Amino acid sequence: MTDTLTKPAAHRGTTARPTATHRQPAKVAITLRLDADRARRLEAIAQAENRSLTNYVETALLRELARREEAERVITMYVAPGTSTSIRPEDVIRAEGETDEDYAARQALTVELWSIPDNT
Amino acid sequence: MVPGAFLRVLFPTSEAPRRPGLPHIGYVLTGSPVEVIVAYTTSQPWPSHTPLPAGVRVFTAEEAARLNQSRGFLLRLDVIARLPLTSSWFPDFDAGEAAIIAVAPMPLQRELRAMAENLVRWRRDLIQMRGP
Repeated sequence: MTDTLTKPAAHRGTTARPTATHRQPAKVAITLRLDADRARRLEAIAQAENRSLTNYVETALLRELARREEAERVITMYVAPGTSTSIRPEDVIRAEGETDEDYAARQALTVELWSIPDNT
Repeated sequence: MVPGAFLRVLFPTSEAPRRPGLPHIGYVLTGSPVEVIVAYTTSQPWPSHTPLPAGVRVFTAEEAARLNQSRGFLLRLDVIARLPLTSSWFPDFDAGEAAIIAVAPMPLQRELRAMAENLVRWRRDLIQMRGP
Protein backbone atom coordinates (compact mmCIF):
# COMPACT_ATOMS: atom_id res chain seq x y z
CA MET A 1 0.00 0.00 0.00
CA THR A 2 1.30 3.43 -0.80
CA ASP A 3 0.37 6.90 0.19
CA THR A 4 1.39 10.24 -1.14
CA LEU A 5 2.96 13.07 0.79
CA THR A 6 1.57 15.77 -1.43
CA LYS A 7 -0.92 18.10 0.21
CA PRO A 8 -3.53 20.51 -1.11
CA ALA A 9 -1.91 23.37 -2.97
CA ALA A 10 -2.57 25.85 -0.17
CA HIS A 11 -0.37 23.82 2.18
CA ARG A 12 2.49 23.02 -0.12
CA GLY A 13 5.60 24.60 1.27
CA THR A 14 7.81 23.68 -1.68
CA THR A 15 5.71 24.91 -4.60
CA ALA A 16 5.65 28.64 -3.95
CA ARG A 17 6.75 30.65 -6.96
CA PRO A 18 9.49 33.20 -6.43
CA THR A 19 8.26 36.74 -6.01
CA ALA A 20 9.98 40.10 -6.07
CA THR A 21 10.54 39.88 -2.32
CA HIS A 22 11.67 36.22 -2.32
CA ARG A 23 14.72 35.79 -4.50
CA GLN A 24 15.44 32.12 -3.73
CA PRO A 25 15.71 29.80 -6.74
CA ALA A 26 12.39 28.37 -7.89
CA LYS A 27 11.56 25.01 -6.36
CA VAL A 28 10.21 21.98 -8.14
CA ALA A 29 7.26 20.06 -6.68
CA ILE A 30 7.67 16.31 -6.55
CA THR A 31 5.29 13.56 -5.51
CA LEU A 32 6.71 11.08 -3.03
CA ARG A 33 5.01 7.73 -2.50
CA LEU A 34 5.55 5.92 0.79
CA ASP A 35 3.73 3.14 2.56
CA ALA A 36 1.03 4.50 4.85
CA ASP A 37 2.68 3.48 8.13
CA ARG A 38 5.90 5.23 7.26
CA ALA A 39 4.06 8.31 6.04
CA ARG A 40 2.11 8.53 9.32
CA ARG A 41 5.30 8.09 11.32
CA LEU A 42 7.07 10.85 9.40
CA GLU A 43 4.03 13.11 9.80
CA ALA A 44 4.10 12.52 13.56
CA ILE A 45 7.81 13.33 13.75
CA ALA A 46 7.31 16.48 11.70
CA GLN A 47 4.44 17.61 13.95
CA ALA A 48 6.54 16.96 17.03
CA GLU A 49 9.23 19.20 15.56
CA ASN A 50 6.59 21.82 14.74
CA ARG A 51 7.19 21.78 11.03
CA SER A 52 5.40 20.65 7.91
CA LEU A 53 5.95 17.19 6.51
CA THR A 54 7.26 18.76 3.31
CA ASN A 55 9.79 20.80 5.26
CA TYR A 56 10.81 17.79 7.31
CA VAL A 57 11.38 15.61 4.23
CA GLU A 58 13.19 18.42 2.39
CA THR A 59 15.50 18.99 5.35
CA ALA A 60 16.28 15.28 5.62
CA LEU A 61 17.07 15.08 1.91
CA LEU A 62 19.28 18.19 2.01
CA ARG A 63 21.16 16.71 4.95
CA GLU A 64 21.73 13.49 3.02
CA LEU A 65 22.87 15.46 -0.03
CA ALA A 66 25.37 17.42 2.07
CA ARG A 67 26.71 14.18 3.57
CA ARG A 68 27.08 12.67 0.13
CA GLU A 69 28.94 15.72 -1.19
CA GLU A 70 31.21 15.66 1.83
CA ALA A 71 31.95 11.97 1.25
CA GLU A 72 32.82 12.60 -2.36
CA ARG A 73 35.18 15.34 -1.31
CA VAL A 74 37.34 13.44 1.10
CA ILE A 75 39.77 13.87 -1.75
CA THR A 76 39.40 16.63 -4.33
CA MET A 77 40.85 15.29 -7.55
CA TYR A 78 41.60 17.52 -10.53
CA VAL A 79 42.18 15.58 -13.73
CA ALA A 80 43.86 17.22 -16.70
CA PRO A 81 42.24 16.56 -20.07
CA GLY A 82 43.80 13.70 -22.00
CA THR A 83 45.28 11.85 -19.03
CA SER A 84 44.77 8.11 -18.86
CA THR A 85 41.93 6.63 -16.85
CA SER A 86 43.92 3.77 -15.38
CA ILE A 87 47.49 2.81 -14.58
CA ARG A 88 49.22 -0.56 -14.45
CA PRO A 89 51.14 -1.18 -11.21
CA GLU A 90 54.30 -1.96 -13.17
CA ASP A 91 54.17 1.51 -14.75
CA VAL A 92 54.46 3.25 -11.36
CA ILE A 93 57.85 4.94 -11.07
CA ARG A 94 59.97 3.66 -8.23
CA ALA A 95 61.44 6.23 -5.85
CA GLU A 96 65.16 6.24 -5.19
CA GLY A 97 65.98 4.00 -2.22
CA GLU A 98 62.41 2.66 -1.98
CA THR A 99 62.16 -0.82 -0.48
CA ASP A 100 60.15 -3.54 -2.17
CA GLU A 101 57.53 -3.23 0.57
CA ASP A 102 57.25 0.54 0.22
CA TYR A 103 57.09 0.28 -3.55
CA ALA A 104 54.31 -2.32 -3.40
CA ALA A 105 52.32 -0.11 -1.02
CA ARG A 106 52.74 2.90 -3.30
CA GLN A 107 51.75 0.87 -6.36
CA ALA A 108 48.52 -0.14 -4.60
CA LEU A 109 47.87 3.45 -3.53
CA THR A 110 48.55 4.71 -7.04
CA VAL A 111 46.03 2.36 -8.61
CA GLU A 112 43.43 3.48 -6.03
CA LEU A 113 44.13 7.17 -6.55
CA TRP A 114 44.04 6.76 -10.30
CA SER A 115 40.52 5.35 -10.07
CA ILE A 116 39.17 8.54 -8.46
CA PRO A 117 37.37 10.54 -11.13
CA ASP A 118 37.59 14.29 -11.54
CA ASN A 119 35.21 15.48 -8.82
CA THR A 120 35.68 19.22 -9.20
CA MET B 1 59.96 13.17 -12.36
CA VAL B 2 60.75 11.24 -9.20
CA PRO B 3 58.17 10.43 -6.52
CA GLY B 4 58.71 12.52 -3.42
CA ALA B 5 59.87 15.56 -5.41
CA PHE B 6 58.76 19.12 -4.74
CA LEU B 7 58.56 21.19 -7.89
CA ARG B 8 56.71 24.12 -9.42
CA VAL B 9 53.35 23.28 -10.94
CA LEU B 10 50.55 25.35 -12.40
CA PHE B 11 47.99 23.75 -10.12
CA PRO B 12 44.42 23.88 -11.44
CA THR B 13 41.86 26.03 -9.63
CA SER B 14 38.22 25.40 -8.80
CA GLU B 15 37.29 28.18 -11.24
CA ALA B 16 39.15 26.54 -14.15
CA PRO B 17 39.69 22.95 -13.01
CA ARG B 18 40.90 21.57 -16.32
CA ARG B 19 43.42 24.26 -17.25
CA PRO B 20 46.88 25.07 -15.88
CA GLY B 21 46.32 27.45 -12.98
CA LEU B 22 48.41 29.44 -10.56
CA PRO B 23 52.05 28.59 -9.81
CA HIS B 24 52.46 26.59 -6.61
CA ILE B 25 55.01 24.16 -5.33
CA GLY B 26 53.56 20.69 -5.72
CA TYR B 27 54.54 17.39 -4.16
CA VAL B 28 54.81 14.40 -6.51
CA LEU B 29 53.00 11.66 -4.65
CA THR B 30 53.31 9.06 -7.35
CA GLY B 31 53.04 8.55 -11.09
CA SER B 32 54.17 6.93 -14.29
CA PRO B 33 56.87 8.14 -16.68
CA VAL B 34 54.29 10.34 -18.45
CA GLU B 35 51.74 11.36 -15.79
CA VAL B 36 51.91 12.14 -12.09
CA ILE B 37 49.65 12.75 -9.12
CA VAL B 38 50.64 15.99 -7.44
CA ALA B 39 49.49 17.26 -4.05
CA TYR B 40 48.81 20.94 -3.52
CA THR B 41 50.90 23.07 -1.19
CA THR B 42 50.40 26.62 -0.01
CA SER B 43 52.29 28.98 2.25
CA GLN B 44 49.03 30.70 3.23
CA PRO B 45 48.45 30.01 6.91
CA TRP B 46 45.39 28.00 7.87
CA PRO B 47 42.68 30.22 9.42
CA SER B 48 42.83 30.18 13.20
CA HIS B 49 39.97 28.46 15.07
CA THR B 50 39.34 26.27 11.99
CA PRO B 51 40.24 22.61 12.42
CA LEU B 52 42.69 21.21 9.92
CA PRO B 53 41.04 18.73 7.56
CA ALA B 54 42.36 15.19 7.37
CA GLY B 55 45.13 14.95 4.84
CA VAL B 56 46.81 18.25 5.70
CA ARG B 57 50.45 18.17 6.82
CA VAL B 58 51.88 21.35 8.33
CA PHE B 59 55.57 22.07 7.64
CA THR B 60 57.27 24.49 10.00
CA ALA B 61 59.78 27.01 8.72
CA GLU B 62 62.59 24.71 9.88
CA GLU B 63 61.16 21.72 8.06
CA ALA B 64 60.55 23.87 4.99
CA ALA B 65 64.17 25.05 5.04
CA ARG B 66 65.35 21.44 4.93
CA LEU B 67 63.26 21.09 1.77
CA ASN B 68 64.85 24.20 0.20
CA GLN B 69 61.76 26.32 0.82
CA SER B 70 61.92 29.73 2.41
CA ARG B 71 58.64 29.63 4.37
CA GLY B 72 56.55 27.15 6.30
CA PHE B 73 53.73 25.66 4.28
CA LEU B 74 50.77 23.31 4.24
CA LEU B 75 50.77 20.19 2.11
CA ARG B 76 47.26 19.06 1.22
CA LEU B 77 46.91 15.41 0.33
CA ASP B 78 43.15 15.98 0.14
CA VAL B 79 43.67 18.31 -2.87
CA ILE B 80 45.49 16.48 -5.63
CA ALA B 81 45.76 16.62 -9.40
CA ARG B 82 46.49 14.02 -12.06
CA LEU B 83 48.59 15.82 -14.63
CA PRO B 84 50.65 15.00 -17.72
CA LEU B 85 54.37 15.62 -17.39
CA THR B 86 54.57 18.54 -19.79
CA SER B 87 55.86 22.08 -19.62
CA SER B 88 52.32 23.43 -19.88
CA TRP B 89 51.63 22.12 -16.35
CA PHE B 90 55.19 22.10 -15.00
CA PRO B 91 56.86 25.36 -16.08
CA ASP B 92 60.36 24.13 -15.24
CA PHE B 93 59.89 20.74 -16.87
CA ASP B 94 62.44 21.37 -19.62
CA ALA B 95 65.11 21.99 -16.98
CA GLY B 96 65.06 18.28 -16.12
CA GLU B 97 66.52 17.45 -12.70
CA ALA B 98 67.13 21.15 -12.07
CA ALA B 99 63.36 21.60 -11.85
CA ILE B 100 63.30 19.65 -8.60
CA ILE B 101 63.35 21.94 -5.58
CA ALA B 102 63.86 19.08 -3.12
CA VAL B 103 63.11 15.41 -2.66
CA ALA B 104 61.43 14.37 0.57
CA PRO B 105 63.54 11.91 2.59
CA MET B 106 62.12 8.39 2.63
CA PRO B 107 60.63 8.60 6.17
CA LEU B 108 58.67 11.69 5.13
CA GLN B 109 57.56 10.01 1.88
CA ARG B 110 56.36 7.09 3.97
CA GLU B 111 54.45 9.39 6.34
CA LEU B 112 52.77 11.21 3.46
CA ARG B 113 51.91 7.95 1.73
CA ALA B 114 50.29 6.67 4.94
CA MET B 115 48.20 9.84 5.17
CA ALA B 116 47.07 9.39 1.57
CA GLU B 117 46.25 5.72 2.24
CA ASN B 118 44.06 6.76 5.18
CA LEU B 119 42.20 9.26 3.04
CA VAL B 120 41.60 6.66 0.33
CA ARG B 121 40.36 4.17 2.93
CA TRP B 122 38.05 6.76 4.48
CA ARG B 123 36.68 7.73 1.09
CA ARG B 124 36.11 4.10 0.12
CA ASP B 125 34.32 3.38 3.43
CA LEU B 126 32.05 6.40 3.01
CA ILE B 127 31.17 5.49 -0.55
CA GLN B 128 30.35 1.92 0.44
CA MET B 129 28.29 3.15 3.38
CA ARG B 130 26.27 5.49 1.20
CA GLY B 131 26.04 3.27 -1.85
CA PRO B 132 27.00 4.03 -5.42
